[in-house]
Amino acid sequence: MKMPRFSRKTLCIPYAVFLLFFVIVPMLVIVFYAFTDTANGFSFSNFINFFSDPTKLSTIVYSFVIALITTAVCLLLAYPVAYILSRSKMKKKNVILMLFVTPMWINFVLRINAIRELLKWIGLLGEANYFNTIFGMVYDFLPFMILPLYTTMLKIDNNLYEASADLGGNAFITFTRITLPLSMPGIMSGITMVFLPSMTNYVVSDMLGNSKVTIIGKFIETYFGTDWHMGSMIALILLVVVFVSTLLSGGFKSEDNVRGANI
Amino acid sequence: MNAKKTISVILSALLLLPSLALLGGCGGEQEIRLRIYNWEEYIDEGGEDSYAYDPIDNPDAPSMIDDFESWYEETYEKPIRVEYSTFGTNEDLYNQLKLGNSYDLVCPSEYMIMKLAAENMLQPLSEEFFDGSKEENYYINNVSPYIQGVFETGKITADGEEHRWSDYAAGYMWGTTGLIYNPETVSDEDLKQGWSIMLDEKYRKKVTTKDNVRDSYFVGLAINYYEDLMKLKQDHTEGILSDNDYNAAITEIMNRTDEKSVAEVQQILLDMKANIFGFETDTGKSDMVKGTISLNFAWSGDAVYAMDLAEEEGVYLNFHIPEEGANLFFDGWVMPKGANAQAAEAFINFMSMPENAVRNMDYIGYSSVIAGEEILSYIEEIYSAEENDETAVPYDLSYFFGEEVIILAPEEQLDRQLYGQYPPESVMLRCAVMDYYGEADARINELWTKVKGEMLDAWAIVVICVAVVLIALFVIYVKLGSKIDFFRLKPKKGYVRIDQQPLR
Repeated sequence: MKMPRFSRKTLCIPYAVFLLFFVIVPMLVIVFYAFTDTANGFSFSNFINFFSDPTKLSTIVYSFVIALITTAVCLLLAYPVAYILSRSKMKKKNVILMLFVTPMWINFVLRINAIRELLKWIGLLGEANYFNTIFGMVYDFLPFMILPLYTTMLKIDNNLYEASADLGGNAFITFTRITLPLSMPGIMSGITMVFLPSMTNYVVSDMLGNSKVTIIGKFIETYFGTDWHMGSMIALILLVVVFVSTLLSGGFKSEDNVRGANI
Repeated sequence: MNAKKTISVILSALLLLPSLALLGGCGGEQEIRLRIYNWEEYIDEGGEDSYAYDPIDNPDAPSMIDDFESWYEETYEKPIRVEYSTFGTNEDLYNQLKLGNSYDLVCPSEYMIMKLAAENMLQPLSEEFFDGSKEENYYINNVSPYIQGVFETGKITADGEEHRWSDYAAGYMWGTTGLIYNPETVSDEDLKQGWSIMLDEKYRKKVTTKDNVRDSYFVGLAINYYEDLMKLKQDHTEGILSDNDYNAAITEIMNRTDEKSVAEVQQILLDMKANIFGFETDTGKSDMVKGTISLNFAWSGDAVYAMDLAEEEGVYLNFHIPEEGANLFFDGWVMPKGANAQAAEAFINFMSMPENAVRNMDYIGYSSVIAGEEILSYIEEIYSAEENDETAVPYDLSYFFGEEVIILAPEEQLDRQLYGQYPPESVMLRCAVMDYYGEADARINELWTKVKGEMLDAWAIVVICVAVVLIALFVIYVKLGSKIDFFRLKPKKGYVRIDQQPLR
């Protein structure tokens, strides 16, 4: 009996099937639901409803701003850490890096509950809901910012810094001409990994903002209880918002593909 | 050829899979299948938490499901296999049914039963099920007359006709809504304002309510119509209104969904949002025990659980059903169309055997709809006062058991677990069932969006949108302009950048 021959391409089949059934088909289903109404007819009513409802618009704008602040704070916190760690000659820097990453290995719900208790103890719980939400998100997503930054910075050739010093470049010039441009891929990758979940992770806003802070992800969840069509429409709009942001931040460019978390 | 072969190999593998599954699941071919869809943690799952558990006599207490399977085989001499799955919300259940999943028996709350019935998705219980002359009809023989009364007066529309609830649904657990409060921080005087206490400045950031539209809407209605409700109560006390009329009048008010009521309730809920500590789904109990909050909207079963939990920590919490009225809710067994009625009804009957009802009640914490000797002795075992307790007070449960039942309970139980689990008859009179909203559903969901969502002034939205567009345009400009050149300085006069020099 002749064994069927497998070419290398056939190895892709499992993933292609997975992609088809778990990414493409669900996406089409969402589009279908978004543009139909309960009578199962084609309709723009959800679309019109979303853009004529000040609450929904305000909520998506709020989520956008919350996600923006979260991403900015993450970047500001993570950049120096990644820079120092990648440039330092410390032998144990892997240990320090691991300390930043270990929280990811602990159950998310447990961590959020712990922060909730902490905030209660400080006296902020129930008093500063928006602050708490952003605080929780920054805490939760910080590793996703540090890791890509660290890995890209690690790859910057030390000779470049030496050349800069040889040619009389001061610290500022060295930073703006070497570190920043060469770590750009890491920054973009970090932003993409933090921004999207910050718009949808409503567990944080529910637990730390006492459900008084509503982000767009919460609306999607609520509507999927009562009205799938509206829920799908919001999910679709969010998808477009995120797609456009990623497009603008260059997330789809393949040439500077040095990103990725390796842990 | 290659690709075709590969595909055929994969296809044949796929074809083989089901037959393999069949081989694994092979058993008696006559085996009956009973597909049950119930709430999470809503049945005695056996093990150490089970009421039937005993370290010596019954160390591995089986779950209620296992017990049912063996009981069914014994009684009907047919093998049965229960496929038990669980859901988290009524809406999940509804969506599963809509997606085409079929079950023989499901256990939604009252309003979802009405919705399912209105959409012609249910099949009625058989007449035989209500034949009290047969001993194996445990449900009809043991259900509390009070609950049966509610089920027989309640109306649902199914298949275009008006029916009684009891035609389609058999009760499982029931309860009321109310407030858990800490008697050390909340005075009786303040509690007299009823649900409006949630708007009281004095308890600012000390109250929580449920993060769902139906419970919040109910509270909003009660606050909005407080005066009407209290007038009814007054009339009832003076004897102008009969018990039935009083309850019917409250039920009418608590089911108002007209546009005016919805708009008023929306404003009340927005005011409430500003005053409360937060909306919660399950953090309320622990926040009460820890003293973070003083008042918590609760379902009676949860309240009993919270009070038990608090007592372990040395904190004593009370439960209060506001004067103007509260919500009476229940979860009931119904059969979706196409169900195996015989097996499903046998399951309801098995669950309704008083000893099994006690086991479930003990496991879940809610009150079973079943009355009977075993239930009574269970209540007495837990709540009866010590024999030499002189402050003990009589607690009348006759309405529930349908015969004269008065137990002697410690005085504090008048505000605690016993009150939560079996409120006195006078309190039950002001508890109203809230129907499925029907056509007003969309309106009330919009209200919830408005209450929960964020609100920005129009100018703020415009400013932010303009800012976002400007940033986007800037980014595009930079990208198209020179990519990473943005960070480079322009070459000094007389110099040429290497990458712009013509190659030699």
